[in-house]
Amino acid sequence: MSTIRNYSTRKVVWCLLSAVLVAVLVVACSQQPASTSSTTGSAPAAKRVPAGQDNSGFLTDYSNLDPHPTIEGALTYIHPDKLQGLRNYVAMIVDPVEVYVVSDGDPSSIPEESLSTLTGYFQYAITSAVADVFPIVDEPNPLALRLRSALVGVDVGEGAIGGELSDETAQPLARSINISDVIVEFELVDSESGEVIAAAVDNATLGSGAQVSATHFSRMERFEAAKSAFDEWAGRLRDFLDAAHEIEGGEDEERANESYQPYSG
Amino acid sequence: MIRFGLVLAGLLLGTGIGLAEKAVDATFHGYVDSDICAHVMVGPITDKRIECSKNTAKDGSNPVVLRGTDGGVFEVKNPKAAKKTVGEFAKVTGKLKVKAGTIKVESVEPVERSAIPADEVATTLMEVRHYRRSGDPVYEQVRHTLAMMPYVSQFDFISFTMADDHVILTGWTVRVNNRKQAYRRVQEIEGVGKITNNLEVLPMGPNDMNIRAQASARLKRLLGRYFWGSGSTIKISVKNGDVILLGNVAREADSELANIQCNTIPGAFHVFNLLRVTPGMKN
Repeated sequence: MSTIRNYSTRKVVWCLLSAVLVAVLVVACSQQPASTSSTTGSAPAAKRVPAGQDNSGFLTDYSNLDPHPTIEGALTYIHPDKLQGLRNYVAMIVDPVEVYVVSDGDPSSIPEESLSTLTGYFQYAITSAVADVFPIVDEPNPLALRLRSALVGVDVGEGAIGGELSDETAQPLARSINISDVIVEFELVDSESGEVIAAAVDNATLGSGAQVSATHFSRMERFEAAKSAFDEWAGRLRDFLDAAHEIEGGEDEERANESYQPYSG
Repeated sequence: MIRFGLVLAGLLLGTGIGLAEKAVDATFHGYVDSDICAHVMVGPITDKRIECSKNTAKDGSNPVVLRGTDGGVFEVKNPKAAKKTVGEFAKVTGKLKVKAGTIKVESVEPVERSAIPADEVATTLMEVRHYRRSGDPVYEQVRHTLAMMPYVSQFDFISFTMADDHVILTGWTVRVNNRKQAYRRVQEIEGVGKITNNLEVLPMGPNDMNIRAQASARLKRLLGRYFWGSGSTIKISVKNGDVILLGNVAREADSELANIQCNTIPGAFHVFNLLRVTPGMKN
């Protein structure tokens, strides 16, 4: 009898604790996946693309970029020394995303909340895209890359877009943000020395017609185009990393195959 | 509010309440191994394997239990209970968590190999005659597939063995993707039946990362011929301060040099030198 009572009491306690945990998780998960990176801190202030220039100035060097053989619209660079290059690294620090507004735009016109909404989701998207191949770490290390990224060509809308928001936790932004002509720039640098190991300018304007005018926009159907664009840019970064890690034919393939001899009992 | 919520959730999960996996009572025949050898010397339990288990356990590698029915490796949560039986076949009873890969041992009774019933899967997995070797077409295809995995670095040691059509994947990797990809790619090979994935994803704590960086720099400087653009014949696994050297070198002197270099890395607790000397290998 006492065993039954103990069992029932345990069951009630178990149910209560589970309910508390579920409630806590619901609260926690209802927040925007803003800062998923190991790097904390708010997004840097927006900058402006210099007028009359071909590029934003975000990358250290644009002169060494070449069209990628398989990723259409992407200009890329990879450090030529194989032993010191991309394959030498096994972890990543993800820096806060930077924003460059169009050359006739005014960076100060983007409210901080709008900026963090935009960069927060993109940082979440790129972290999700790379974390299983480059575990995210906090501290610089000779084996860790630092990923710098920028959304270039952001435009500021006239004001908030009207209409009801389907997600109750979302808030309308004071100014909507237009990402129709945005391109993305990435740079992977050695986290200790700062040497550029790889870089890419992704000229694919995937956000055509897309805008963001609410926090938590990624959960609302009306902002699906913006969410898809961010996810796709992140996916293309992953494609770039995957392509760079493929074992090339010839000597590399031969050595990899010959050297792989599993141990046995 | 969010922080409070996350802290509370963390506390609940940390104390084993909530969504944690429930342990199940289990009794099975198996082999008590060391953590190192269970991840390296996959395959039948030979004299060489038993020697490896005992030696590495003596040097501080924790005991694990190799379940005979599927070759699954389980970390022993109460290592003292199993330490004396490392290198022996045993009937193991305890609380098992399959997903977490752990067991809290209640009893470990050493048994003779012959005491394991002949019709148990355990017998298949422990006897040499069931194992496929280099030269077998399916074995070779599995080997080639794993050799061509793109994200394998000098810090990833991926090994396998094959008993009949059962592939057991093992080793250590720093990338979650390698564990998933090894399984997926092998699953697609015709002739492969069951797969047990014992490939362990290593933590990326700052101390282990520093050890990896130093070991890599030292070995590349002094033994650079074993490293090339997309891979290496020397593998450096670092787990909680322990360095495990694996792979092939051409000379005993190279193996000793690697051992000495890693032994003097600040923060490294112990070096398990399991490098194989293969005279005449290409480097």
